Amino acid sequence: MRPNLAIQAFLGLYIFIFFLYLFGPLVIMSVTAFNSAEFPAITPWECFSFRWFNEGKIAYDGQRLAGLVTDRPLHEGIVTSLIIAAGVVTLSVPIGMAAAIVLTQVNSRLRTLFYSMSIMPVLFPGVIIGISTVVLWDRIATLGGDGFISELGRNGIFLTILGQTCFISTYCFLIFVARLQRFDTTQEEAALDLGASQSQVFMKILVPYLMPAIGSSAVIAFLASFENYNTTVFSILSEQTLTTVIASKVRLGISPAISALALVIICLTLIGAFFYEISRRSNQRKKDRENKVKMFSEISGNRLVEEQPKFFKIPKSIFVFLLLLILAVLTWQQLIKNNMYGAECVEKAEASKKSNFADQLKLLQQNAESVEATDEGGAETGGSKEYNDIFGDPNLFKNFGGFDTDKKEEGESGATRSNEYNDIFSDPNLFKNFGGFDNKE
Amino acid sequence: MNSFYKKNGPVIATFFLVAIIFWLVFLIVIPQLYMLDLSFRPNLPPLLRGGPDDVYTLTHYKHFLYGSETSKDAYNYVDIGVFFDTIITAVLVTIINLCFCYPIAFYIAKLATPNTARLLVLALVIPFWINELLRSFAIRILFAGEGVINNILLELGLISTAVNFIALDIALYTGLTYAYILLMIFPLYNALETLDTNQLEAAKDLGSSTVRTHWRIVIPHAKAGIASGCTMVFMLTAGALATPVVLSSPNTYWFTQLIYQWFNMNDNWSRGSAYSIILLVVSVTFVLLMMRLFKVTIGEVVR
Repeated sequence: MRPNLAIQAFLGLYIFIFFLYLFGPLVIMSVTAFNSAEFPAITPWECFSFRWFNEGKIAYDGQRLAGLVTDRPLHEGIVTSLIIAAGVVTLSVPIGMAAAIVLTQVNSRLRTLFYSMSIMPVLFPGVIIGISTVVLWDRIATLGGDGFISELGRNGIFLTILGQTCFISTYCFLIFVARLQRFDTTQEEAALDLGASQSQVFMKILVPYLMPAIGSSAVIAFLASFENYNTTVFSILSEQTLTTVIASKVRLGISPAISALALVIICLTLIGAFFYEISRRSNQRKKDRENKVKMFSEISGNRLVEEQPKFFKIPKSIFVFLLLLILAVLTWQQLIKNNMYGAECVEKAEASKKSNFADQLKLLQQNAESVEATDEGGAETGGSKEYNDIFGDPNLFKNFGGFDTDKKEEGESGATRSNEYNDIFSDPNLFKNFGGFDNKE
Repeated sequence: MNSFYKKNGPVIATFFLVAIIFWLVFLIVIPQLYMLDLSFRPNLPPLLRGGPDDVYTLTHYKHFLYGSETSKDAYNYVDIGVFFDTIITAVLVTIINLCFCYPIAFYIAKLATPNTARLLVLALVIPFWINELLRSFAIRILFAGEGVINNILLELGLISTAVNFIALDIALYTGLTYAYILLMIFPLYNALETLDTNQLEAAKDLGSSTVRTHWRIVIPHAKAGIASGCTMVFMLTAGALATPVVLSSPNTYWFTQLIYQWFNMNDNWSRGSAYSIILLVVSVTFVLLMMRLFKVTIGEVVR
């Protein structure tokens, strides 16, 4: 069925837009990881830098923005996630396998019930699985007294493994069911007739047959566990996994370090997909060759002339890579030409920002002295277009509203105020970044 | 039971039984039942639990309907509003996803050459393996005040000042549509792939228009896939937490965020449980509705 040209063109356009929608946000996010500005954006482009992959930076307003390498909570979160994923894989793959094998053995009425129950967890919202695990185990821990059980029931990693196993087992179960549908049971019968024990049949026939399913369900279980958030956020209690670390980072304020992390994950995914495709193709080729050999040996006549395989065929994908390479080189040249790369550029940007910030503060103080209202005045006069999204936030100036408290002590209000902004002023690095602003006065 | 042991041998049979009972009873049934029980109990400190005050009550469900006893409104407009917002948005997202994905799934399953089809499927899977939070983050960058979309619109002169997409919830809706689009495509694709191309050709030869062919042949054939895709997308959207956490504006709530609040910030676990039960009931109702509507079994929905 070939549709006519107009429909084809329309379909092509539609598919192009669809994939643009799918990949566009990811590409843009990846690009922002290389922008040295504090806010992940493509415009205004500050400098090309790898700082978000390395050390991050201390922003001009004293906020510490960690890069990937220096981010301790992130590293700990990844380790916790790996532990949980390992636990989930070791639990859910055997469970899924056992359930799928038993499904083939029970009679049809029980079968429907059993199957419905097994797939139920997929239909539950993840949030609910997390909550139910926590409330149950909290109760068990309370009843269990002070011993091991109470510790176990309040251990976030243990609870998360249980919660995730609940629904990830279903994924494994479905993979095993699909594989078992094509299983030839006469193999088992033959083995039993030849005197094998049941355990031998299981280990020597069923498990090898299920090996591909074991592999793919382990991969699926690992990935599903690693990226789960909805269940984990409830069951993890006081610990932190990769996803909860990301979530708290995103909520606290968005930093390009998250883009850098995303880019790393995207690259890993792409590499995985690449190798998967390569292995699949080589398998396919091997199978084709075997088939051909078989065909030739079966048809011993010489009516079929073997096609001479070309030794080197240029894959079409190479053009895509070439195009990407050319684009990258062009962008790079543009960056060099406009002096938007390297330590110099970063330093310059920092300096201009610092002076800009000092100006802002000065303005703010003048306003504070002339007008009684300390907070809103600055926000109106300040905020050049470039820093709109940072300075446009009226809350920002609140933090610095207390700056002049040491000069005009206002008794009670001053005390509460300094109390309120404690965590900002207790940071010893804070005053460094203002370039000795106080000393001038 | 005896025949089960005989068939599998004692060791293997015990392993099977332990694994299945552990899963079905300890991981699936008991936690849900306990949560249901907790949702009917008052919120008590741990020491008072099991004491004389620990009686069954409907207070949490009443709170959802009528609000706290001190409020003046007749009904709990805030929570009910959030609830219906969530459900309606989830339904809309499901419908939008279905309309978006149908042409793509049809193209990959029936029109593309096998090689192209495989590459497209691979390309579809890649974004799906990237964390939901990070995908939402990408959408957030796109829709930020100085983000790409605002800049393009400003450049084109369509708007004069930057639009706050996050406050308007446009970012949230886009993010939700984006997050689960794959779970719509794959069931549709799987269903459409089994459709015999000869049927389409026969319909065309008999003079049926394209629209009519789709309405009378393709859609009825794909109905299990449609039911499955719609169910998955609706469930995941209604139960989403990651995307609303990243993308919702400060004054918009998603129902799961409400649950999260009761649970983690207000430390009222039994009310959190009651709200979870409400969400669960809606989800189960939706599944049953889809099964009835499309006349499919639960096995066809989850595949």
